[in-house]
Amino acid sequence: MLEELPTERTRLLDNLGRVRREVGPITPELSDAVADRMNIRRGEVHEVVSFYSFLQVPTDAVRVCIGPVCDCLGARNLLAREHERADGAPVIPVECLGHCDIAPVLMRGDRVEPGVTRRTNQGSVLGLHEPDSTEYAAFRDLPASEEIVAELKASGLAGYGGAGFPTGVKWEALAGEPTPRYVIVNADEGEPGTIKDRYVMELRPHLMLEGMLIAMRFAEAREGFIYLREEYATARARLLRALAELRETGLLEDRTIELVIGAGAYICGEETAMLESMEGRRGMPRLKPPFPSQVGYLGRPTLINNVETLAHIPAILARGGEWYAGLGANGATGVRLWSLSGAVREPGCYEAPNGSTLRELIDGYAGGASEEIGAIVPGGAASGILPPDALDVPLTRDTLREWEAGVGSAGVQVFPKRYSPLRLLAETMRFFAEESCQKCTPCRIGNRGMHHLVEELGHGRAVMPRRQAEEWLDAMVQTSICGLGQGAPFPMRNAFRYWPELFAPLGDPEAAAPSG
Amino acid sequence: MERMPGVVEFTLDGKTVAAPEGELLVHAAARHGVFIPTLCHDDKLDPYGGCRMCVVGVEGSPRPLPACATRVRQGLVVSTNSNVPQFRRTLTEMLLVEHLNPDPGGRPNELLDMAEEFGAEAPFMLPDAKREPYDDRNKLMGYDPDACILCARCVRYTQEVMQCSALSLEGRGPDARIVPTHGFSWLDTECELCGGCLSSCPTGAIYEKFEEGTERPESGLEKVKTTCTYCGVGCQVDLNVDPATKRIVKVTSDPTYLPNEGNLCVKGRFAFNFVHHPDRLTDPLVRGEDGELHPTTWEHALQVAAGGLNQVKEEHGSQSIGVLASARLTMEENFLIQKLARTAIETNSIHSCEAT
Repeated sequence: MLEELPTERTRLLDNLGRVRREVGPITPELSDAVADRMNIRRGEVHEVVSFYSFLQVPTDAVRVCIGPVCDCLGARNLLAREHERADGAPVIPVECLGHCDIAPVLMRGDRVEPGVTRRTNQGSVLGLHEPDSTEYAAFRDLPASEEIVAELKASGLAGYGGAGFPTGVKWEALAGEPTPRYVIVNADEGEPGTIKDRYVMELRPHLMLEGMLIAMRFAEAREGFIYLREEYATARARLLRALAELRETGLLEDRTIELVIGAGAYICGEETAMLESMEGRRGMPRLKPPFPSQVGYLGRPTLINNVETLAHIPAILARGGEWYAGLGANGATGVRLWSLSGAVREPGCYEAPNGSTLRELIDGYAGGASEEIGAIVPGGAASGILPPDALDVPLTRDTLREWEAGVGSAGVQVFPKRYSPLRLLAETMRFFAEESCQKCTPCRIGNRGMHHLVEELGHGRAVMPRRQAEEWLDAMVQTSICGLGQGAPFPMRNAFRYWPELFAPLGDPEAAAPSG
Repeated sequence: MERMPGVVEFTLDGKTVAAPEGELLVHAAARHGVFIPTLCHDDKLDPYGGCRMCVVGVEGSPRPLPACATRVRQGLVVSTNSNVPQFRRTLTEMLLVEHLNPDPGGRPNELLDMAEEFGAEAPFMLPDAKREPYDDRNKLMGYDPDACILCARCVRYTQEVMQCSALSLEGRGPDARIVPTHGFSWLDTECELCGGCLSSCPTGAIYEKFEEGTERPESGLEKVKTTCTYCGVGCQVDLNVDPATKRIVKVTSDPTYLPNEGNLCVKGRFAFNFVHHPDRLTDPLVRGEDGELHPTTWEHALQVAAGGLNQVKEEHGSQSIGVLASARLTMEENFLIQKLARTAIETNSIHSCEAT
């Protein structure tokens, strides 16, 4: 089998995944064998193997999600039960599996338990209730590049992966860059509480592929890649089928689209970490600038978009940017998919206007709260933690800025009053610490330090004064390399602000730190 | 005034200064008297920007940028004031909260120096700071993971300079560690025990294993610069001598030294014990009438050697003599010996065992 493995460095992750599936968990011997076959130094292959969560565990491992929503709904009991059951397959806790709508959840091999049920609505843009089709009408009738940029700008479409960068500006930035260029779809959805890209790929993969094809033609890219997280087995099967159907239409022409499967690392959703991962190295973010639109995959200009973002583009081009912009509420533009999970009656993924309030989303789509609400995470781990007072605030970038929070990936997690904000905060900081790539000091140690601080607060102990903790958070925001470390402090800052009584042991926020 | 080609002007803490375009900011600032601290930076390695100690304010950038990875360009406006000192202190505190053993082997620890300079102390120790101890059966290098700050200089040194696989940055999250590949003994990796990783380590986590009873902090040793005697490359080394015993305790080299730029091999760095070996010849010896070797002066010894060579040359001709030079000679010494062979002995039969 070793002789069959391709030897380009970009194939390393793929090769390791194949060896894991066909031979078994990557042992030092297998790691060295792959290294020797591919003529890569053994140490570097070991670095890559050990970076990901899954390459050293068997494919039949039981993966129990301990994301915040699952934790709130009994994941620790599930984990204990599975450990007791122990029928030979190893049981490992993993961060968000992206099935928060059926939490608590686990994966036995590739199978999700409990069985997948998808609650969604028709919406006016994505139509997740409609059958998927290979019509590709918007792609067949594509306007000139300048017009595409103009429509995207008029639509107000901004990346739905979490960073919210205006898509039209991102596409325009690529225009002056030399060819060859690449297009990559970021399908490494891993933000706790976020299930929307999975819904798109499972229900309307052709919508995303059409957006991707438009991006490829716009970028004059021959090669496109979809970087999909390993945990999304159903989405993988649907995408492979959709790709085969797309090939049959002939619309691909001389272009190729390839599926790259991750191996369990949240950080690989950060676009430069993703590029490193695809190039066969550890998924550690690059220093920016330069940005991927200038120096991306294999050093070439690269357009990277999130799954959902691309899925909106056919409708925008078919019906116009202005029409799309007008769909928003409370001064925001357009619609998006909101993942609603936790203490709601009908958790699921719903298309609703940008600028909706939390109450509108919870009551209007998710069937209302199932318990008294204690805290809400509006859009993924780094988006912040809001008190029930925020229920009527329109969820836009500008309004949430006043709350020191963000819309992020729109993964709205509703936590009941019985779930302590301190526990939520501890789980959140533990998550960041676990998923930190460990390259930069503020993220590597800051997150572990904050996790320790919150854990100790639970026992009524203060590990450092409040003022010093804020200096740490400031250093994390300002000096971390990527969004993980830069964003991690926001839930902490929110908790300081909205639940000040929990932090009383840390003392007066104004008192000088001992080092200051 | 016209700018010189390739030279740009930029602003450093309010002063306009000049530097070659593209020079790393950390170097340009140092030449203009602004020292920017670094831990993960090593001139021999590609910029990494991991430890973040060197972040500086750069106008137009929403966040401070690492001076070790930012290149100077025309009009750059750089500030090391404002909140930069606070970042340095906080980042140092962070590194200290898992720095369980700051002095495993007596090597200098730059992190502790910075802690002192910035007045930083660890507010607590992380409960998961303890890393699995690493015990290696090799006799030359030790490694204490509890002194490691994960700057990865050692790993990058092995990959970028030595092109070997001796060390890996393993894992992710709190379990991440630096370890000889797969956690094996160095002797079971591609490691040649050159000790380059050790020389690159800013905290002394990788250190020389000393001969029993010779442990001493590097700062207490006297450095004697000399040329390594092991081969013709002529590496410049510092013999680190214990002033009390006058014995060599370790060998180091400096990145500014040519031709080796601070790099050494296993022999140059670790195989210095012959210097103090009791069997080592310290005087020339000449065999006497009694058939035994006797100490003598260099003058006498050379006369005896020259006399012998001359006698052979007279009796059998110069072509009866061949010269075999040691591989341990320097290029200059090899030049001299061929000169001796060709002009004094008058033979062209010269060889060095380096050629085989």
